[in-house]
Order: sequence, then structure tokens, then C-alpha cells
Amino acid sequence: MLERYVRSAGAYLPLLRLDRKTARAALSWSGTGGAGAGRRSVAGWDEDALTMAVEAARLAVGHDHVQGVVFASTSAPFRERLQSGIVADALGLPADTGAADVAGSRRCGIAALRQALRDRSGSVLVAAGERRISAPGNSLQLTWGDGGAAVLVGNTGQAKLIGESTINVDLVDVYASADHPLPYQTEERFIRDEAIERVLLPAVTAALGKARIGPEHIKLAALQEPVAGVYRTVATKLGLKAPNLCERISEAAGDLGAAHALFGLALALEEAAVGDRILVAGFGSGCDVIILEVTSEGAARCSAANALSHGAALSSYTRFLSLSGALDLDWGPRSELDQKTSASVLMRHVREMHGFVGGRDNRGNVQFPKTLIPVSPGANGPEKLQDVRLADMPARIMSVTADRLNFTPDPPFHFGLVQFENGARVLMEFRDVENGTPKVGDPLQMRFRVKSIDRKRGFRTYFWKAAPLDRLPLEKS
Amino acid sequence: MASGIRDRVIIAGMGCTEFGERWDIGPEALMVEAFEEALADAGIERNKIEAAWLGSALDDINIGNSAIPLSTALRLQNISVTRVENMCATGTEALRGAVYAVAAGACDVTLALGVEKLKDTGYGGLPLRTKGLANDLWMPYGSAPGSFAQLAGAYAAKHGVKAADLKRAMAHVSWKSHQNGALNPKAHLRQPVSMETILGAPMIADPLGLFDCCGVSDGAACAIVTTPDIARGLGKNDAVAIKAIQLNVSNGWESQYGEWDGSYIRNTREASKRAFREAGITDPRTEIDITEVHDCFSITELVTMEDLGLSEAGRAPFDILDGKFDSGGRLPCQVDGGLKCFGHPIGASGLRMAYEVYNQLLGRAGARQRSKVDLGLTHNLGGAPVNSVSAVSIFGRLGR
Repeated sequence: MLERYVRSAGAYLPLLRLDRKTARAALSWSGTGGAGAGRRSVAGWDEDALTMAVEAARLAVGHDHVQGVVFASTSAPFRERLQSGIVADALGLPADTGAADVAGSRRCGIAALRQALRDRSGSVLVAAGERRISAPGNSLQLTWGDGGAAVLVGNTGQAKLIGESTINVDLVDVYASADHPLPYQTEERFIRDEAIERVLLPAVTAALGKARIGPEHIKLAALQEPVAGVYRTVATKLGLKAPNLCERISEAAGDLGAAHALFGLALALEEAAVGDRILVAGFGSGCDVIILEVTSEGAARCSAANALSHGAALSSYTRFLSLSGALDLDWGPRSELDQKTSASVLMRHVREMHGFVGGRDNRGNVQFPKTLIPVSPGANGPEKLQDVRLADMPARIMSVTADRLNFTPDPPFHFGLVQFENGARVLMEFRDVENGTPKVGDPLQMRFRVKSIDRKRGFRTYFWKAAPLDRLPLEKS
Repeated sequence: MASGIRDRVIIAGMGCTEFGERWDIGPEALMVEAFEEALADAGIERNKIEAAWLGSALDDINIGNSAIPLSTALRLQNISVTRVENMCATGTEALRGAVYAVAAGACDVTLALGVEKLKDTGYGGLPLRTKGLANDLWMPYGSAPGSFAQLAGAYAAKHGVKAADLKRAMAHVSWKSHQNGALNPKAHLRQPVSMETILGAPMIADPLGLFDCCGVSDGAACAIVTTPDIARGLGKNDAVAIKAIQLNVSNGWESQYGEWDGSYIRNTREASKRAFREAGITDPRTEIDITEVHDCFSITELVTMEDLGLSEAGRAPFDILDGKFDSGGRLPCQVDGGLKCFGHPIGASGLRMAYEVYNQLLGRAGARQRSKVDLGLTHNLGGAPVNSVSAVSIFGRLGR
């Protein structure tokens, strides 16, 4: 029988973290704001479920071969436009890569992973991202967070599938609908009691049975809790001893929806030793459970733990509201630029934009974007440029400013020339800048981001932006 | 090899509106105001004009596209009228068209008029605009101050200038222009401003503060050009001749090829070299008497002094602080107040610069008049340092 493996995993969080105490203080007059400790991660204005899934996917895939991509999210920016195809483009995968989007509940990420592990369909990437909008005052606004996680599955790898289960229960703990796009949550006591008895206990028990191991053999768990404290009860009832890494994510970043359990798996793979068994469970209208046995050391990318521990504190509650889409500021007339995208122009350039693909000319010079006649001073006519991907190329700042005049949803607008190690030079926007304007010569990494949002027509385009190479460690909350 | 246009075209007359927030009048009135002054100055009948060039840059907020708005405003009678747009160098581009037509012998009398009604945007600063549908997919929407601010860091890094010293030299650029603009009844901003105010102003784009940036205003300027023979027939015996107009445009080298260090404007260097050759100038530092350069931002004027060869490499901040380019200095720059005090109605600015040099050459600059002006230079820069259009023009008396 063909064995199926998790080959690798990647995890991504946006830079900013809102201390829940900050929100609580701002909302104290209202009696809302909850009592939770810790932080929630906050996506930049130009990050959405897709971009964060791409960032996680980049970490998961590395230089690995990928035959199929699944994008999982309950907050996908598009209902009709295949986002897994954009993930594939952003990773530089060929056009014949399989692609499918899944949604329906926050369980979709782990459901897609379970399906990929059960299928015999080669190397499949499950990339999940979540940026869910919620209203101020709703406790979910603070218990949820933004982020992405991705897992690559194949016929060999780091952790072998040894058991799985699924259970469908229309337990409506929270819903969002076409008629009510913001989340609506029911009573937590009901959720806790019924999620444990009707969903988690039978599902975990079934998976352990298929894996033919006892609960004491699970070393690490990544179980997405519908409400805090659920895992503790499940573990007590079943005899599970493993710590639940998903609680660590909820504390440091919030519930990441479709990405949550995958993020937990990424954390577990970083911590696990060969021989360890990992239980992964995604919750939402039921549950999917996967049990893996670690069979070899993974690539030491440590993206998940690093994502949790590094970032920048967001101290302004109103900035959080603006970034999270809960506060629609009037930015004035300079924000009124009509950013309509031409579908035909986009189609002509889309692979170069999403994949950040430049070209090398006959003299060896690399440029972006490609042109018929190269920019090299010696070029004297049209020639075919060889594709060169810039997304993963080391680069430095050549010039920079903090522009306070032009509209950006999160001022100031940092931009300047980026000099890539391979000679390419591109005028780019700088993002994730929180500690003053970066300096000429500072090292950069490329990030897949929203380039423009056409609010009038509900469309957005994607391109790459440059961010400082390193993030600073977060101080204790 | 082409001999160029030196002394082949005469400025018969010029006009320039008062620049500023002209809430009360529209672009039609601005065009008529500048034209009527130029026509009276030239002393010719309007039906002698055989062709016209209109410079206007922002057709969505100004007068729309095509040359029809100029033809209609001036009721030009069955002549060719061409609209040109080359970013902030549009005004000089219009003049170039009119001058070339006369120099080529295609026309005897032509007109160049630039106009922009920026204050009808309803907000401060230049409007944010598309950079083309394909470029919009990747190019960042930086503002003009943001684009030019990048010169400062690169210049400081290249020449080892401390940020505080550079900031002070930049502040002196603006201080000097405000001193000059206070003497100019056509300037938008006519108040001297202290160094402390300039240095303490709010930041617009690091390290450019509010007073490092030129204003935004409405205005129009106009030139009527003709042949030396016709000028003599009009009694213009000490006429102002065009010595050179050169314009250079980026081809992507700065922004895409990893060679440029970001600290200067290559197009200004290339255009000025060609302009000096065309004008027969071998030592601009001693031969040029006055300059009107594109001081959209203080740092732009600073690097332009080196790009034009008027300061040694790395010396512009010190020449500026020494007062070399002050009105009473060895090589006065922006005697009229420059973009800093006139604002920058884009289509008009290149012609507004020529208007000051023209008046200085004719000794008609009033309180701003410099004692010895035989050769004057204008520099009109469009775009941004990474992708620019640079025009350098030289004016002097015919035959000298």
C-alpha cells in the first residue's frame, strides 16, 4: 500500500500584533472587549487570505516539486477567481499544476490536507490563509487573528499518515452568510459542551483507533478549539497527555481559521523528533482528524515558532480597526484615484507579476519588467529574454523615503529603488516598516502583497513588495 | 553634423500671468492674459502667427486634450496648433516646437503657450494619476516629493555629506528663493521665510519638509518667436535670441539597469552638455550669468547645480551655503522666486522660467534686475529622478 507523507510545512503571520489589553482598554466603557490575554495578529492593508497563504506556501515548498495546489479559506478575497491558481503563479509553478479552492467552514484547510493524504495524487500543497472581518465589540474580533499556513504532501517525507477520521455535524457555533457576512456566534457554553461530546471525542477516538495507538502515544497535538478550554476536557476524558500547540497560536496570534490547525502542524513538525506521533484536528461543522508519525528530520525552517515570537506591537486600537476593515476612514480626495484594472492587460502580464519574473538578456543583464529591447546599454534590437524569478532573490535598498503626501491606507508610504543581487533593479514599495525609515543598503526580502484595490468594482491586483529581511523579537505581552 | 539653432530664432515677445490660486478665472482667461501680454510685447498682429504649440500636462483637470482649447481661447485663424505633453518639462517642449518651426524655415512667426489650472483639483499637491495600465500592475504610486526625496539619501551617501548639513543647504535653497519671490509681483508666494521656519516645517517625504517643496498653483506663460530678420523689422535691435534648446529623456537605464547611483539626474547632464555645445559655451561657470532651474524640490536644485556643471561634484551644498546662487551671488539662481514661489502649473513653468531670463536680458526685471546678464539658462525637469525628462535652454542677445 502506498504510504502518504507530510513533506514539509510553512507558517506565516503578518508583522503587527494587537495586545488584547489595548482593545479591552479602548472598549472598557462599553462592557465589550472580552477578558482574554495575549495578542492577535493583524494583517497589513495589503494582506489578505491569499497573500498570507502564498507566504506560508513559499516556506513549505522551498524548491520542492508540486503537482497540485489547494487554497483553503473562509475569507477568500474572491468568490469567482481561482485563488489556488494565483498561489501556483506566485510560487512560479507551471500552468498545468492542478488547482482548486476550498471553503465552507474553517475546517476546510485540514479537510483538504486529509483528502490530499488519502488521495494518491502525487505532491499536493494545501495553502490556507485567513483574514476575517468582524465587528468591534464582537469577541471574535479579538479572539481571531490573521495568518497563513501551508503543508506539502507527497509519497515520501517527514511525517507519515497513520490514522485519520472525519465527522460531520451541523453544529452552528459561528456562521457568516451571504445575507450576514460578519460572523455571528452562539452561546459559548453550548458550543463547548456539544463540540466535545458530539464532535471531538468521537472523531479523535476514531482516528486513534485507525492508527492503532493509544492516546498516551500522542506526543504533540494541534487541535483547533471552537472555544478555549475544550482540548483540556477532551484530553482529560481520553487520556491524552500531549500539549495542544494550537493554544499557543491562539494566545499569540488568535484563531487563524482555515490556517489554524495547519499552523499547529507546522509548529509540531518543528518540535517533533523522529518517532513522535502528532494529532492534528480541524474544527468547523464537524471535525477532521489526522494522526502522523514523524519518520525523518524535517528541513529546519522554523517558520512557525519564529512567526509567533517575532513581529511588532500595534498600540493603536483605531489603527487596528482601520487595518482590519472595521473602520472606514474618510481619507480625503487624494484617495479617490480610480484603480480599474484591464483584464486583458492583466492577462498579458499576470505570470510575470504574480511570479515576479524578470528577464535576462543576451549580455547577462537581468531586468524587470521584461521588454522587447533590453535596457542594457549595448542592446540594439528586440531579443528574447530568459525568465528570471526575483521573488526569492536577495536584495538591498538603493534609495528610500517615507512619503506622507500620497494616499496609502497605512501611512507613510515607503518606496524606493531595490537592487537585487543578480543585478536587477526595481522601483518598489516597502512594507512592514515600523521602526522608522529603513536605510540605504538595508537587506530586504520580497513579499507577495495586494498591489491595488479597486473599491468601486471590488477588484484587487497582486504584486510583490519589499520588506526588511528580519523581524524583531516581540516583548512579552 | 547639424549646426543647431543658435541665433536662428528670436523671442519677439513674452507674457506671463500672475501665478497663484486663481480661483476667480479659468484656463481660458489665463491663456488670453499671457497671450495678450506677449502679443503687445512682440508688437505684431495676431494674424502673423503661422503655427502654435500648446503645453498642458494634466488633461483630466485642466483644459482637456488636443490643441483645440488654445485655438479656441485665442481664436487662432486657420493655423496649425499642436498640443505637447512631456511631464513637467511640457512648457519647454512647447517652446521647442515653436522654435524649431522657425529655425527650420517652415514658419516665420510661431507661438508657444503653456497653461495649467492645478488648483481646480480641489486639494493640495499634484494629483495622483495612473502610470499606464501595465505599469499600474507593479509600479508604486509615489508622490513627486517622495520620488525626489530619494536623491537626498543617495547624494549624502555618495559624497559623505552629513544629513544635517545637507538639510541646511536644502533649506538655504528655499530661503533664497523666498527672498527673491518676495520681490516679484507675479509670484504666488511673496513672503520671505526664515531658515528656522524652513528647518522646522512638517515632513512631507524624508528629508523634504514643507518648505523644501514647491507650491501648486495656476498660471500661464507665452512666447512669440520669429526670425532675426523679422525681429529687426519690428525694431528689436537688441533682441533676445535662442542659443540652444536640448531635451533628454530616460530610456529606463536609471530605474532598470544597475549602474546609476541615484544621486544625480543623468538627463540634465546630457542635455546641458549638448546645450552648451549648441550655444558655443565652453565654460558655463564663467559664461552663464543667471539661471532658472527646476526647483520642484530643494534637493533637485542642489543636485542640478552639479548636473549643469555650475558646482564641482560634491560641492553644491557648500556653494549654496556660501551664497553663490543667491540673488547677489556670483551665479544667481531663481531670481524670480522659482517654482518655490511661483508654484508649478506644469505646462507653464518652462515658459515662466524663460520669461524671467528674457526680462533679465532686456533689463526689464525691476527690483530683481541683475547688473550683468548676457547669457541665461533655464532647466525644466519632468518626471522623477528614476525616469525623467530634462530640458536645458540658453538665451542671450543676438550675435553675442
